[in-house]
Amino acid sequence: MSSYRCVFLMGVEQALEYRVSFFLSMLSAVFPIIIQTTMWNYLYGHSDAAAVFGYQQGEILLYTLLATIVSQLVGTGFEWEMNSDIKMGGLNKYLIRPVGYKGYQFFRFLGQKVPRLMVIGPVMTVIIGAAFWQGLPVSLGRILAFLGSLILGVLLNFSIFYCIGLLAFWLTDVDKLFGTISIVLTVFSGGVFPLDIFGGVVEILVNLAPFGYTTQFPVNIINGRFGWERMGMGFAFQTGWILVFVCLGEAMWRRGVRRYAAVGG
Amino acid sequence: MRKFTRYFKLVGVLAKYSLMSALEYRINFITGMTVEMGWMIIKLLYVAIIYKAGTSIGILTPDHILLFVGTYVLMTGIYMLYFGNFCSIPGMVQQGELDLYLVKPVSLQFLVTMRRIEFAFLLPNLVAGVSMIVTGWRLAGLPVGLVPIAGFLFYLACGCLLTYSLFLLPYILGFWIISVGGISDISAALWDFNNMPSMIYGKRFRQIGTYILPVFVITNFPGLFLMGELSPFACIWGAGAPVLFFVLSRAFWKVSMKRYSSASS
Amino acid sequence: MITVEHLRKEFTYYRKMTGIRGSLHNVFHRETLTKEAVRDISFSVGKGEMIGFLGPNGAGKTTTLKMLSGILYPTGGRIEVDGFVPWERKNEFKRRISIVMGQKNQLWWDLPASDSFYLNKCIFGVDDGAYRDIVTELSELLDVKELLNVQVRRLSLGERMKMEILAALIHRPDILFLDEPTIGLDILSQKKIREFLKIYNEKQKTTVIITSHYMADIEALCDRAVIINQGMLVYDGKLGEINQILGKRKLLTVKASAAVEAGAWEAYGTVREISAAGAVLEVPQEKVKEVLSALLSGLPVEDFTVKEIPIEEGIARFYQKEVVMP
Repeated sequence: MSSYRCVFLMGVEQALEYRVSFFLSMLSAVFPIIIQTTMWNYLYGHSDAAAVFGYQQGEILLYTLLATIVSQLVGTGFEWEMNSDIKMGGLNKYLIRPVGYKGYQFFRFLGQKVPRLMVIGPVMTVIIGAAFWQGLPVSLGRILAFLGSLILGVLLNFSIFYCIGLLAFWLTDVDKLFGTISIVLTVFSGGVFPLDIFGGVVEILVNLAPFGYTTQFPVNIINGRFGWERMGMGFAFQTGWILVFVCLGEAMWRRGVRRYAAVGG
Repeated sequence: MRKFTRYFKLVGVLAKYSLMSALEYRINFITGMTVEMGWMIIKLLYVAIIYKAGTSIGILTPDHILLFVGTYVLMTGIYMLYFGNFCSIPGMVQQGELDLYLVKPVSLQFLVTMRRIEFAFLLPNLVAGVSMIVTGWRLAGLPVGLVPIAGFLFYLACGCLLTYSLFLLPYILGFWIISVGGISDISAALWDFNNMPSMIYGKRFRQIGTYILPVFVITNFPGLFLMGELSPFACIWGAGAPVLFFVLSRAFWKVSMKRYSSASS
Repeated sequence: MITVEHLRKEFTYYRKMTGIRGSLHNVFHRETLTKEAVRDISFSVGKGEMIGFLGPNGAGKTTTLKMLSGILYPTGGRIEVDGFVPWERKNEFKRRISIVMGQKNQLWWDLPASDSFYLNKCIFGVDDGAYRDIVTELSELLDVKELLNVQVRRLSLGERMKMEILAALIHRPDILFLDEPTIGLDILSQKKIREFLKIYNEKQKTTVIITSHYMADIEALCDRAVIINQGMLVYDGKLGEINQILGKRKLLTVKASAAVEAGAWEAYGTVREISAAGAVLEVPQEKVKEVLSALLSGLPVEDFTVKEIPIEEGIARFYQKEVVMP
């Protein structure tokens, strides 16, 4: 465990190295929120938007704020490193070390989240507190459910992107696609807008697909949209998808390493 | 005038060479396009939400908004043509790569900012932007004729010059400070304010974005002109601001170059 | 053609500390340090002359070349190149000069070199006819005619350097600055580039200033050398006369037919090398005859040669600041 702790601390330090850029880029994440809040306020002020979108004004504003934050929290970046490890032979040292590669990537990923969490944590608390003040039905149970779903969301997103990173075993230029994948998945996970506002088929697909369970699901717990029944179903889906991606990752890893050894990295 | 045609011809040669070089790496070219399409999904989501709500923003019907967002998409594509050169300015300054450009009898700013022209990002934006503009124009029943089209194109051209001048400024800071990563994030976020027509924002905010940091001028004025909603003063400002900011960026560039020449080894 | 008077260049930099604490410290309190890259340099170059610019690493050679070509402003002093002040960067001035830096390239990596030439033609506004002529002429001289349409990234290092030089000459400059043009190249390419520069300089009467680590470059090309060390001029004169500062001495290599006691050599001159088979002695020029006859009679000499001291040695003395210009 101590080697994992070391990797974790390395991640923290690395994220701190670029702190000025880090703070400015956090700040630039505020701008889209302004744009979106302005738009929602306008739409709700000038039309019967609640009926159209199925969200109350407060719900959707809270959604906009929290979705941006949650997607920052679950967001990854280690897939680039996985790609270069696999392509450049950096994987070799993990194959002989006692530290598992997946464990290494996971704890480093968590480590890099810490500075982010130090900013995000207080901001999130303030937002939820303010929402409570405004009459949002935030109970202790709901907060616990939110935190639980958030942790599961981080696990799920890690598992998804771990599988995406492992694609590097088979695809030569997969790293070029990482940017696209990450943007598209942010959209599909509800990181920009809640996708169930479009109703019908879109809503059904969002509920079945794994991506919404990284961002949209936790946010909809805390903004009070989901009742306990919906939550239970959501947790079932979330856990199910985690299991699917963990198994998929294991299978891909085993085949990938065999291939890697055969080709000779 | 002879100088102008010479520079025009140079841009042509540089664009041709850039395209030839880019086609050497077809996969990069295609993936560049897919990333841009990923970003476009987000822009289109905004339009989808507006249509879903069916609300007008001030005098703008959803069809007008389609035209405005189309202008924004098209302008993004044009900005992306040379955006990469902006990004590489800080690096070039630090590695002393400006040296060989400095001894050429052509404006250094021109050579550095037009060095490479990136078509991969233009293509999806051009196709989507123009389709949205044409569709919005037709659906909104806006006038078609020599004057409206010429005026629209004129303010489009003004917007191009303004984009170049305004967004070059943060990158020139690369002559003075080492890391501009955060600043470039902020300027990119600023650009995204045009994702919605400026009318959605409050009056004070709109004035700042029109007259102080005139990002709104870039994508709103062509459409507003078409609708006959530009006051005489705004008509003049729409043409004057680009010139003003171009002069400003030239001056800042020259001061910074002086520093480069005196401070480096 | 080129006049440099009391040239001086300082630049400032920041001391950087390592670790997170160091980075934080840097944000609030940065220590500014000044380095004098060039302290006081004066020299002049006539039209058509080709001079070698020598000095150890960090002596200020590249910085001086950059000031001569207008890339950098000097901190003090005066430069006039072809009647222009370089750092005013007039286009008319830029058309008359050209600079090649061995470690920087201007060619487009993924395109044939001829495309980069064409771009330079457009940048410098060279006529179509003159452009065709110069590319044909120079590509023949440099022996790269068949490679003009090959992508630059497929060329060897030597071929690429030849193309860089060609690209720099498209506008037929009056003055050419070459900064380490042969660095890292194989012997054959070095030789070819030297030959080319020699012919080109003779034909075009182009003024050339060249810096190089390879003495062979300088010896083959330049009559005159300017040596700087730590930003100061230490020698300016004929390359062949550099060794004068060593006091007109010669090297005497003697081969003995039988073993000679090591101490015995010292009576004849300064011993530089000693082995079982003989020794190398340093002897004042006027005493060569005398020493030789003494040697022949005193020791079992089988064979001997008399040589000049290699130029590198004289230059090395300048580098070590053992001597300054007389």
